[in-house]
Amino acid sequence: MKLILILEDEPFIAIDLKYACEDEGLGAVTAGNVRQAMTAMDEHRFFGAILDVNLGNGETCREVAEELRDRRIPFVLNTGDLNRSGEFLRAMRAPIIAKPNASADVVRTLLSHGAKVR
Amino acid sequence: MSDNTQPASRQAHYNSQGLGPGERGNFAGSSGLLFEQAMAQTRMAVCLTDPSQKDDPIVFCNEAFEKLTGYTLGEIIGRNCRFLQGPLTNQDEVGRIRTALREESVAVVELLNYRKDGSTFWNALHLGPIYDEDGSLKYFFGSQWDVSDVYAARAEERHAKEMAREVSHRLKNVFAVIGGIVNITGRAMNAREVSNRINDRVQALGRSYEPTLDEAFLGTIEVGQAVRAVLRPYDPEGDRIAFIGNGVRTEPNAISAIGLALHELATNASKYGALTSDAGRVEVSWRHEHDRHGRGSLVILWKESGGPPVAGPPGAGGTGFKIADALLSHSHGGLDRQWEPDGLRAEIRFPLTH
Repeated sequence: MKLILILEDEPFIAIDLKYACEDEGLGAVTAGNVRQAMTAMDEHRFFGAILDVNLGNGETCREVAEELRDRRIPFVLNTGDLNRSGEFLRAMRAPIIAKPNASADVVRTLLSHGAKVR
Repeated sequence: MSDNTQPASRQAHYNSQGLGPGERGNFAGSSGLLFEQAMAQTRMAVCLTDPSQKDDPIVFCNEAFEKLTGYTLGEIIGRNCRFLQGPLTNQDEVGRIRTALREESVAVVELLNYRKDGSTFWNALHLGPIYDEDGSLKYFFGSQWDVSDVYAARAEERHAKEMAREVSHRLKNVFAVIGGIVNITGRAMNAREVSNRINDRVQALGRSYEPTLDEAFLGTIEVGQAVRAVLRPYDPEGDRIAFIGNGVRTEPNAISAIGLALHELATNASKYGALTSDAGRVEVSWRHEHDRHGRGSLVILWKESGGPPVAGPPGAGGTGFKIADALLSHSHGGLDRQWEPDGLRAEIRFPLTH
C-alpha cells in the first residue's frame, strides 16, 4: 500500500487527514513533530507527505521538507498562516493549501502534484 | 531680530583655517549672519564636521544639537559624532554613515542615539558633503531629528498587526480542528453525508472570516475579500465567477450571514445551476444602498447565466437556503431568489447598524 506521511501537531486534523488518505486507498503515518517525522522517514518508504508548517513552540516543518526534497518525495504544505513563513514556503515550491480546508481536497492536491512531479 | 540678541557664547565663529574646540563658527559676511541666525533658531539639530582633521571632529553645532543630546557646546566640539552611539545602536546603519562619508554622498539613516544622561532617542540623521568654491571637500553636514514618536507609533501599529495575525492564525486553526472533529464524528456515527454538509458550512464560515481577522484592527472589513474567500473553492480556475464592487467596506457582524448565504448560492449553482456546465458563469456584485430614511444596507447581487435552463426552484436542497434565510431575517435582512429562465438571480440584503 502506498504510504503518506502526515506531519501535523493537531491530532484532530491529523486523524481527519489519515481518514481522507484511506478514502483514496492510501495508508498514512502521522507524526506530531519534526523528530517523529524524521524517525518515520527512516522506517518507511513514503509515496508523499502532507506537512503542517507551524508545529508549535516555534518549530516548523522546514527540516522535514528539505529531507523530503532530497529524497524526491512529493509533498504539500497545509498551513493556516501563509504570511509568517512566507519566504521559506515560497522557496519550497510545493503546493500550499490554506487552512481551514477539506481534508479530501488536501489529499487530492497531493496526488495531482505527485503525478506532475513524477 | 534687528540687533544682536544672541548671547556671546552663541556667536558663530568661522574661518577657513577651521575652528578651535569650544567655539561656535563665525561665518563671515551677510550670508554668514543669516546662517548664524537660521542655525540658532531652527529646532533641527545641526552639526558640521571637518574631515581634514584627524577623526573627522565636530567643528560646529547649534543650540538645538545641544538640547537634543544633552551635551554642552564645550563637550561636543572636537569629538567625532560616534560619541552619540551606544550599545543598541544598529551597526548596519552606522556602516551606511561610514559609506556615505567615504563616498562623499548624501545619506539618510535612522539610528538609536544616546543622550548625555544615558537616555535614548531615535535619530533621523541626514548627512552630506559640503564643498568650498574650489570644489574640494570642506565639511560634512549632519542634521539630526528626534523621530522617537514616529518609531513608537510604528511599533504600536506593528504590534497591532502582529496581534491580528496571531488571532487570525489561531482562529483558522480552530476552524480546521472543528472540521476534523465533525468529519471524525460523522465517520464514527455512519453519518458522513450529514457531517460533510455541516463541515462545508463551517468551512465557508471560516473562509468568510479570513479577511476580517487579518484586518481586525481596522474595525471594518472589505466585502470583496470576504466574498472572494467564501467562493474560492467553487471556482478553482478563477474564470467562472466575476466579482464587481471593489473597495466597499462593511461591519464584521454582517459576515456570518452573508458568508453562509453565498455558500448556499454557490452550492446550489454547483448542483443545479450555472456552475454545473463549463459555459455557465456567475456575476457577484455588491454595494451599499441607503433608503429614504437614510438607513443603510449592504446589498449583494448574484446573477447566474449560461447554465442549464431553469424550470423553477429546485425541489431538493432547500435546507441550506432555510439556514441562510433564518440568519438574514434575524438581522432584518433577506435573501430573495428569482428563478429566471437563463439562471438564478438572488439578492442578499443586510442592514447596517451604523
